[in-house]
Parts: sequence; C-alpha cells; structure tokens
Amino acid sequence: MSAETGVIHDIGYRRYTGRRLGRAQIIRALYWHSLRSAFGFGRGAKAKIVPVITFVVICLPAVVSAVSVARGNGRLVPYDTYLVQLRVVVMIIFIAAQAPELVSRDLRSHVLPLYFCRPLRRLDYPLAKLAAFVTACLAMIEIPLLLLYLGTIAQSHSGSAIWQQTRALIPGLLVGLMWAVLLAAIGLALASLSGRRAYATGAIAIYFFLTWILAEILIQVTQRNVVRAVSPPPGAVVAPPPGAPPGAVAQKFQEVVQVPTTGAHLSGLVSPFTTLDGVRQWLGGTSPGPVPGVAHYGPLYGAMVLALLAASLAGLVARYRKAGAL
Amino acid sequence: MSAQPLAPAEGPPPEPDPGAAVIQTTALTKRYPGAVTALDALTVRVEPGITGLVGANGAGKSTLIKILLGLLQPTSGQAWVLGGDCLRDAERIRTLTGYMPEHDCLPPDVAATEFVTHLGRMSGLPPTAAKERAAESLRHVGLYEERYRQIGTYSTGMKQRVKLAQALVGDPRLLLLDEPTVGLDPAGRNSMLELISRIGAEFGISIVVASHLLGEIERICDHLVAIDSGRLLRADTMTSMTQASQVLLIEVDDGSDLLLAELGQRGLEPRAYQRALLVRLEDDGTYDAVRDAVADLGLPLNRLERRRRRVEELFRDEQAEEAAHVG
Repeated sequence: MSAETGVIHDIGYRRYTGRRLGRAQIIRALYWHSLRSAFGFGRGAKAKIVPVITFVVICLPAVVSAVSVARGNGRLVPYDTYLVQLRVVVMIIFIAAQAPELVSRDLRSHVLPLYFCRPLRRLDYPLAKLAAFVTACLAMIEIPLLLLYLGTIAQSHSGSAIWQQTRALIPGLLVGLMWAVLLAAIGLALASLSGRRAYATGAIAIYFFLTWILAEILIQVTQRNVVRAVSPPPGAVVAPPPGAPPGAVAQKFQEVVQVPTTGAHLSGLVSPFTTLDGVRQWLGGTSPGPVPGVAHYGPLYGAMVLALLAASLAGLVARYRKAGAL
Repeated sequence: MSAQPLAPAEGPPPEPDPGAAVIQTTALTKRYPGAVTALDALTVRVEPGITGLVGANGAGKSTLIKILLGLLQPTSGQAWVLGGDCLRDAERIRTLTGYMPEHDCLPPDVAATEFVTHLGRMSGLPPTAAKERAAESLRHVGLYEERYRQIGTYSTGMKQRVKLAQALVGDPRLLLLDEPTVGLDPAGRNSMLELISRIGAEFGISIVVASHLLGEIERICDHLVAIDSGRLLRADTMTSMTQASQVLLIEVDDGSDLLLAELGQRGLEPRAYQRALLVRLEDDGTYDAVRDAVADLGLPLNRLERRRRRVEELFRDEQAEEAAHVG
C-alpha cells in the first residue's frame, strides 16, 4: 500500500467533465434551497425557532380533535375554515418572519448579480422563490388539515364514514391552496421591497394585522341589531310570573340578532384573509366564518383575490427586473 | 446542457467568424435613455490569455461586461463570447463564463464553503460535484480551514478570494473580473494579481481583468484593451506596447554630476532623470563608453539598463482628462 504515508499532493487545476444541469434543473435546485430556508433548514438553530413554534401551534387543534374523536366525541374543527382566528395569527407570524428570509437577505448582501451571471434568466429567480414559499405556506395550512382528517378516520369503521370525511376534506384543501398562493405572493412582494429584514417583517406584519383588524371592526359596526320574536319552546310557562307587569311575556321570547347589511357583506374585501373567506363562502363553504355571508357579492370577492394576486406578482416582476442590474 | 458548446449548435453561424477569439465585438453601441452613450461603436477582439480592460470609471467597462453576459441589449452592433452570440446564446455563454463583480456581493452569515457550493449548483453542477468543486476552488484561491467560517468574519482580502472562487466554481472557459483588487492593501493586491496570473497561466482559463489602474494590471496581462468614453483607445499585446526603447539608464550611488560631465566629454549627450542619467543608445559602443566612464571615475554603479517603455506613458495623453475624474 503506497497510501500509508498520507502525503498531500497538489494535483493542480482539474477541469470539470461531468454532467451539467439545464436551466429547469437549476430552477429546481433554487426551489429546494429556498424551501429549506423557509423552515430554517441548513441554517442555525435560531433560524428554526419561529417555523417550528408556528407549525406546532397550528397543528394543536388537529391533535386535540383527534383525542376528542378517540374518546367517542365528534370532530371539533371544520375542514373548510379550520380555526380561522388561529390560522390568521399563525400565518401572519410565519410569513412575516420567513418571507424576508427568502428574498431580503439576497437583496441586502447584493447577491443577485451572482445569480444573474449564471444560466438563470431574470424572472427564474422570483419564480423559484415564489414556488418555494407557496409550498411552505401550503405545508403550514394543509398538514394540520391532513392530521385532522387522519385523526378522524382513525376511529371510523365504515367505508361510508371515511368517504364522508374525505368529501369534507377536499374543499378544505382547496381553500388552503388558495390561502397559500395568495398569502405567499403578497408576503414575498412586500418582503422584496426592502433588503432590511426588520423593515420587511414589519411591513408584512403591519399590512396583514391592520387590514385584518380593520375588516373585523367594519364587519361589526355595519351589522344592524334587530329584535326578533322567538317562538316559545314547547311546554314553556306562558303565563307571566305573579306580580310581573303586563307585556313581560312578549319580552321573554324575543332576542336581539345581528343582521348583516350591504356594508357588512362588503367589509370583508378590506383584508386578504376575509377576502379569502368571502370566496370560500361564495363557492359554497358552509361553516361560519369571519365574513357574515357575501350575499350576491361573491364574484366581487373572487375578483379581489385575483387583483391582489396580480398586484403581488406584478410587484415581484418589477422588483427583479430592476434588481437584476449588476 | 452539453459541455462542448463552443460551436453554435443550431442556426446559421455568425457572419464575421469569431474564430479563436474569446471575445469579439463589432460596432457595439449602447445608449441609455437620456442620451448617455456608454459604448460608442466599439470593435475589439480579445484573444485567449489574460487581457486587461482599462479605462476610467464610467468609460464603459461595466456596460461591456453586462452586454457580454447577455444581461443588457446593445443599441446596435454585435458581440460574441466563446463563439456564441451574446443575444442568442446568452444562457450557454453564462454557463461557460465566471463573473466576479466589483462590489460586495457576499452574505455575511453563511460559511464560504456553503455559499460557493450553492452558487456551483446555480452554475448547473449536480450536488456532489458542486460540493467538490467548491472545496477545490476555495483551495485554489488559498482558503483552507477558514472556509467553514462565516464570511462576515473574513478580511477584505479573503472576501475578494471568495468572490473569485465563486466565479471559478463552474469550471469556466472565461473569467470576467471587475476591479479584483479594489479595497485591498498593497500586499493583498500583489497576491490577488499573482493568483489571477496563475489561474490564467496554469488553469488555462482566459481572463479579462477590468481595472482603472493601468499600472497595476499591466504586470499580469498578455494583452491590453483601453477604452475611453465607450470608444476603443488602443488594443495590442503587452510586448508590442512595452518594446525596449533606445535609451540607456545609468544610476550611481553618488557623483552623478561628475558622471554627467564625464559622459558629456565622451560625446554622449547625457541628461539627468530623477536620481539617474539617461543617454541615447547608439550601438554597443555606448555601453563600452559608459562602462569606461564609470570605471575611470571609480563610482559605484547601481543600475545600468535599457529602459522599457511603461504602458502608462503610452496612455498618458489620452488619459490626462480621465485622470481628472479618477482623482
């Protein structure tokens, strides 16, 4: 054996004669790299804190529901809305923390010229980043739904019960896809505005939170309070208690209900989250959501989703046309 | 993508045959909006080897590089790199070309090995090859164990080396280096120039070094292309530019005045130049006369050489106004 001595030889420069990947495969490599960084993989432990915590939190209701089902109770959470409030908060935190990780860092350290002097074309970069971030958001939204589904059917013994769950799950997955595409696009477009991470995170959080709170307030204040008579339950005592003033009977079987006005139907358009919920209801979603019905304004919600998506994509394209300058 | 893209794969071949030229441009013009002409009918041919691209800031060097990489469309004219048309074959040209930008372009919170590996993937290398070539390129530029450290902890010189390593990682046939010595101290500059010279000579990679410091890169270049305001000033080989002149330079420790008088008596018409003397070189007799004069006076002779023209002097007139910009 001549290798025993362990001498290091300077073998000089070696040409690369192996396979070279084409543009499509380079885009795929960038996609994987970006998807990993969306969850902090390949980076230090600190980078994983936010993705891991948000993921665990958003999965909790599915786990609780599975326990409930195992004890003989029903499924606690609907597929098409999941827990809307929780999902909104978790997604805002996840996107505000991770979208800048994908785009702001490269802008900040002026790495882009090193991408654009390689075989990639200018729009391949934002395309790969967007695909990666949509996938990341999809994982955050759909994995809890799948856990919910598995936890529910684990206790089902009939094929028809499983089929029923599957049929309820599919619209939920489609709603999740819609959420992931729109939120990822808006998040990346906002993040690409600034190379400074803190600014990018702030811009995303402020936009999503403010519009969400504004939409909720508008929906509340535009509902009308209506006093409505309620038919007494069978066998109830209709006679007034002794000593009560006349008319007390009528009072007892009335209730105050909030009736949405046109303003309430339209208020959902203010925030991406309520807009998405409006589209869900327009397309036939039945679970109660933050938007109190869309009346006949459904197409308006659909148009709003498309407009938000188009604006975000246009913003990204414009940003990387310009940023591509060496 | 195949590894032999030097001949155009499809379509008619470009009319003016670029032949063995690494870069060829014909009447290349680029005007930016606002009547700014960055390149003005530039026709130049760059042969294999190390070529210096000299010009003041704003002379059009960066515009030329962007057009060569297919990132900018020329207003008119044509450009070929490695036999490929810069508009039609941009993707293939970028596969075969490594580019080192002038400005800082490194993320501080990533290890050099990880960063160069990723850019190797972006150059089209499969995962394992990218890792191997990243380690090799970093070794070639002189980064060994440091390569596992975050780039933010590096000195300017080390950062410049990482920038060079990322250009090398995809095994390019051509390197475009934009001001590779910017921000370095004299020692760092020397070792960077040495490194570039070694890559050109030993690795068999053609190199274009853009710089506004002519005196610095002339040491390592085989060819020189000088541009000013987007026009070609001069393009030639270093040897033809620095031909030996017919002037002899003599330097003695002290007693220059005595020697000046002595040489004058021998009919050589000497003149003082800084601490030395210059005489016109007629034939071998001139050497003998100088030798005898120094010996007769008993002076310690420090230097006796035939003066080479410095390239800088050739460009001096043209560069006079640029110097005002460069400061």
